[in-house]
Amino acid sequence: MSLLDVDGLVKDFGGLRALDDLSVSVDRGELVGVMGPNGAGKSTFFNCVSGVVAPDAGTVRFDGEDVTGDAPESLAKTGLVRTFQRTRELETMTVRDNVRLAAPDQRGERALPALLRTSGMREEEQAVRDRADELIEAFELDHLKDEYSGALSGGQRKLLELARVLMLDPEVLLLDEPFAGVNPTLTNEIAGRIADLNDEGMTVVIIEHELETLTELVDRLVVLEQGSLLVEGEPAAVLADERVIEAYLGE
Amino acid sequence: MSVRERLFGDGERSGGSAERAFLVGGVCLLVAALLVFTPLAVTVPGSSFVFIEVGTLFVIYGLLVLGLDLQYGYTGLVNFGHVVFFAVGAYTVAMLSAEGSFAGVALGLPWLLALPVGVVAAAVLGAIVGTTSLRLRDDFLAIVTLATAEIFHTLFVNFRGVFGGNVGILGVPQPIADLAADSDTAQIATLVLFGGVTIIALGFMTRLTGSPYGRVLRAIRADELVTRSVGKSTFSYKMQAFVYGAALAGFAGGLFALYNGAVAPGFFTIQVTVTIWIGMLLGGASNHRAVLGGLAIIMGLRLLSRFALEVTPVSADAFASIRLIAVGLILVLVIRYRPAGIWGDERELGVDS
Repeated sequence: MSLLDVDGLVKDFGGLRALDDLSVSVDRGELVGVMGPNGAGKSTFFNCVSGVVAPDAGTVRFDGEDVTGDAPESLAKTGLVRTFQRTRELETMTVRDNVRLAAPDQRGERALPALLRTSGMREEEQAVRDRADELIEAFELDHLKDEYSGALSGGQRKLLELARVLMLDPEVLLLDEPFAGVNPTLTNEIAGRIADLNDEGMTVVIIEHELETLTELVDRLVVLEQGSLLVEGEPAAVLADERVIEAYLGE
Repeated sequence: MSVRERLFGDGERSGGSAERAFLVGGVCLLVAALLVFTPLAVTVPGSSFVFIEVGTLFVIYGLLVLGLDLQYGYTGLVNFGHVVFFAVGAYTVAMLSAEGSFAGVALGLPWLLALPVGVVAAAVLGAIVGTTSLRLRDDFLAIVTLATAEIFHTLFVNFRGVFGGNVGILGVPQPIADLAADSDTAQIATLVLFGGVTIIALGFMTRLTGSPYGRVLRAIRADELVTRSVGKSTFSYKMQAFVYGAALAGFAGGLFALYNGAVAPGFFTIQVTVTIWIGMLLGGASNHRAVLGGLAIIMGLRLLSRFALEVTPVSADAFASIRLIAVGLILVLVIRYRPAGIWGDERELGVDS
């Protein structure tokens, strides 16, 4: 039984059909790459799965439950977490606060414990702080801990975004172009971290244009074109497929 | 390290700052109780009377600006009708507790009962406005709140049988004036008591916003979609911030009614909203002490201009216009040179100077 099961997804924006009967499924522990030419519907696919936009038709099942059209916050709580193509940092908050924010189920996030500063809340906040600092250190952002994230470079933002979503301990991680605008060294580093996470059992789905890194990294490639599935399979086989070459380069 | 970071950068330290506020507020309440419940009397020189009057109004408006700061400074909700919650609190308390009002409803219930009902009434109105409008984009919320305030203002003026029209509700009990030894003592006691209440409210706000709760609010202001995608129910937080701010304003309204002894539409014009907005922006949104400081500056300016009027050779009408020009000029200067406000943190608010 697959962990994430997308069936017959359709999404129209006005007269434009961004997703046309798209069905993809991802098994637990898999590392799947999603590629396709610009406008193929990759980001819309993520948006529909993560609840940012509601699909017009089709179902999204996560861990056997129908989660079609569920709000992003409830999906994030159940373990389906995403990042954004254009990194969206909380620029008016420090790196630390960015990461700490994502910790799930904090008592101090309810008004009454926050007002009373209960000891349970404070212990929990201490634990969140420690965990956040660990992640920040792991992503080598510790010298920027107290910096506002608006001051970070593009690559650092990508790292911060990863650190932030990992705070949630996701079951499925949807990464929207994690290597975009990142230099080759950092790309390799981020790819290494993603591979590590996957080795530890996290299911990861990556949208990426950077084919070289992507094909090395993933177990399976899914190619979209004009909102529907073009080809899927082993990276090498997919890249050799004539339909894929045609989609990218034209006839 | 900025003021902000010293205040809120670290959970423990923000706790300390809140505790200090509780202590100072508590002392104020004690002093006020002494003045009210004992025959102790103080005399105030006639010339300083105006300071006490404006000071009392300042601490009442302080509650408004704290609520607004929670809504706008932290959560990013643009509420251009904050005065309506103030008015609803005041009218509710007045109509429930007044006896023998000249016009409008006067039920003559105990004020201790009326005050919490006033808070609840304002909170309920906040919840209604919130439910209908918080899902809209920011600028729509601004329009809805502005319109709500205008609608209520018109209702207060036109439903004479209920709200007493332009005369308003008279005969609201003034518990402090009744209990204190004389009117001077009552004035001072009111200032100290309300001041204590505002400082305690500052303490609570500092705690609330210095905690993970405040972190979620700031995250919503920064980027709501990101906040949702890390699993926070942002609508619920926006609703809470809105309702808490409204309830606090309702409470301030109740205090105002019980201090003033009467309510009328003239006390609840858009002028109130404008004053607290300017105070907040001047001081620096998302820093509770700064917004109170900004409000103090803007209200101090008004006080100053009262004296200035006596020594300037222009008519009162002309002077009022000059005052508006001065306030506008200050706002322009602040936005130009300190866009995050005098004590505000530019990085915190994401503005470029």
